[in-house]
Amino acid sequence: MSVLNNLQFYFMHFMPYPDVAPDRPQGQWVDIPNTRFDPETGHKLYREYIDELVLGDKLGFDGLVVNEHHSTFYSLMPSCSIIAGALAVLTKRAKICVFGTPIALTFPHRLAEEYAMLDVMSGGRLECAFPLGTGMEYWVNPVNPSFARERFREGMDILMQAWTQPGPTRYDGKFHQYKYLNPFPLPYQKPHPKIYVVGSGTEETLNYAAEKGYGYSQVFTPIASQLKSFESYREIAVRNGHKPDSESIIISAMVYVAETEEKAVEEGRDHILFYFQKLLRTNAHINSPPGYLPVDRLRKRLQAGAVQDVAITWEMLTGVYRTVLGTPDQVAERIAFWCEQAKSSKIILHLHTGDMPHWKAVKNITLFAEEVIPRVRKLVSSSLQAAE
Amino acid sequence: MTGFTKRDIVVDGIRVQVLEAGRGNPLVYFHGAGTLTGFDDLLPLSAGRRLIVPIHPGFGESDDDIRIDSVLDYVIHYSTLFDQLGLGEPLDLVGHSLGGWIASLFTVLNTHRVRRLALACPAGLRVAEHPTADLFTIPADRLAFHLVASPEILARMAAVNVTNEMKVSRYREMTTLARIAWDRNYEPKFERWLPKISTPTLILWGEQDRAIPVQQARHWEARLPNSEVATFSGAGHLLFFESSSAVKRLASFFEGELGGLKQAAG
Repeated sequence: MSVLNNLQFYFMHFMPYPDVAPDRPQGQWVDIPNTRFDPETGHKLYREYIDELVLGDKLGFDGLVVNEHHSTFYSLMPSCSIIAGALAVLTKRAKICVFGTPIALTFPHRLAEEYAMLDVMSGGRLECAFPLGTGMEYWVNPVNPSFARERFREGMDILMQAWTQPGPTRYDGKFHQYKYLNPFPLPYQKPHPKIYVVGSGTEETLNYAAEKGYGYSQVFTPIASQLKSFESYREIAVRNGHKPDSESIIISAMVYVAETEEKAVEEGRDHILFYFQKLLRTNAHINSPPGYLPVDRLRKRLQAGAVQDVAITWEMLTGVYRTVLGTPDQVAERIAFWCEQAKSSKIILHLHTGDMPHWKAVKNITLFAEEVIPRVRKLVSSSLQAAE
Repeated sequence: MTGFTKRDIVVDGIRVQVLEAGRGNPLVYFHGAGTLTGFDDLLPLSAGRRLIVPIHPGFGESDDDIRIDSVLDYVIHYSTLFDQLGLGEPLDLVGHSLGGWIASLFTVLNTHRVRRLALACPAGLRVAEHPTADLFTIPADRLAFHLVASPEILARMAAVNVTNEMKVSRYREMTTLARIAWDRNYEPKFERWLPKISTPTLILWGEQDRAIPVQQARHWEARLPNSEVATFSGAGHLLFFESSSAVKRLASFFEGELGGLKQAAG
C-alpha cells in the first residue's frame, strides 16, 4: 500500500532579511553588524511574509511552518511564537507548526505556556517541532553549548510533565527546579499537540525521538543519509513499543513552479542559491562552539569533508537536497517520488526562498496550491489504484 | 635528564595519564587548557625532584569525565589522585593558566598540604580592567598565535590544525574547558578566597601574554599574603614553552630557601 493516501502539504517560511552584509565569508550570523537592520524594510517584510503565509491557508495548504533563529539575517523570527500568534488569528484551517523555539534556550514552563496559548487560540491547530537550536544560537544566548543536549532533554521532560500531569507538580532537575509547575492555560488538543524532534543527523537526537515516540525531521542533510536515518528511526521506535506511521517523518523540499521549466529556473534559481550561498552559510567556528557538537560527530564531519569549505553550486544542491524547479507536472512527479521514497506523507515546501520578491512568492504559492497539489494527489490515487 | 615515564591511573573510575620524571620530593605540575605543546620544556624541574604531570580528565591522553563541570571538581579529583600517588608530605605545586586556577583553589582548601606554590599566568581571578581573553571566541586556526609572543616559536609545536585528528583533539579539549568555563573564565569569589593561601607563592607571567594580561599579576600578588612576582620579556601565555628562563626561575624557587620571598606576615 502506498504511504501517500493522506498527503499533507506544509508551507514553511524562513522570513529572511535579504539586504545582507557583503564580503562575509563567515556568513550572516552571530557577529553580523546589526546596525544594517532597517526597521521600515523590516516592517514591509513582515507584512509581505505574513500575507504569504495567510495566502497559503486560503489556498488550502494543510499546514504553515515557522521557525526561530537569533542574531541573523537568515531569519526575522527570533520568536516563532509571535508569528504563530498572528497566524492563529489570521488563518482559519491550516495547522500551525512551530519548528520551533529551542527549549534549551528558554524556561521550559514558559514554552509550555506559550505553546498552550497558541493551541487554544488556534482552536487546536498547533503542532510543535523541537530543535536543539543551531550552534550559532549558543553564541548569542547565555546558555553553555556543552550542556545544550542535556538541557534540551530536561526541558522536554518538564514540558511534557507540565502538559500531561495534573498540576501543580514539582520538578527537581539539574538545570531547573519548580516548586509549583502549573501552566495555565493547557493545550486545546489532548493529551497535547503533535510533537516532533528536529535533528541534523546526530544519532543521539534520532534515538531520542524514536525512543520517546515523537515524530522526527532532519534538516540540511543529504537525501541519502536522511533515508538511512529514517529507517533507523522507525526500527528504534518500533523496538520501543511505538507505532511510527507516514506522518512520523517530515521531509522538506525547495520548490519553484512556473509555466515552463525554463521560466521556473529563470525566476527561482538565483533565490535558492542566495539562500544557500548567503543566508545559510557559516563556518566551523560559528556553527560549532565548543561542546555543541559531540566530538565523534566532528570527527565524522571532518572525515566526510566540511560542506562549508566547498563552494555551493547548483549541481551540488540539486543532487544532494530536495530541490525542484519546473512545471506543475514536473514538480508534482518529484514530490510524489520523494514522499514515496521517504515513506512520508508530510512534506514541508519552501516556497519563499532567499531574496525572492513578494510577487514571485505569491505566484509560487498559488501555482503550487492550485496546480501541483491536485496533481500529486492524482498521481497518488492512481498509484494506489494500481497497487490494489 | 631523561624523558617522562607515562602510566595510567584510575581515579573515581576514570583513567588518567600521569607523566613522571626524576626522583626526590614531589613537584606536581597542573597544565593549562591545552596539551599540544607537550611537557618536555619542564624536564629541567626533575633534577633531584620527582616531577609529576598528571593530565586532567578531558585532556590529552586522559579519558573524559563528563561529571566534571567545575574547577572544584578538578580539585576534588586531585585530592583523590594525590592520595593514590601516596603524596602525603607537603608538596610543591605549579599551575599554569587553567592549572593555576586549579592549583590555587586546591591550595585555598589545603594550604598546609602545599609547601610552595607557583602560579604561571593563572586563570581564575576577575580583573575587570585587564580581563582574561575569551578564548572561545577566537577561531581555532588563530588561537595558537594568541598564545605566544613570537609566532616563530610555533614551528616547534606539532603543527596546529594540520590534521583532522588534531582539530578533533583541540575541539575536545575546548569542550572540556567549556564545561567549566564557558559562562565565566574566572571564579567570582577568588578575591575573597585567595588570602586564605599562606603558602609561599611565586607568580610568573609572560610580559606579552595576550590571553591573560600580565597586569593581572599585581592583582594576584595583592591578594596572596606571601607572594612575589616574576615577569619574563619575550614570552606570551605559553610561558614555559617560550621562556627557558621562566623554567629556571621556577626551578630555583623550589630549590631555594624561603628567603627568596617576602617573609610571611607576622
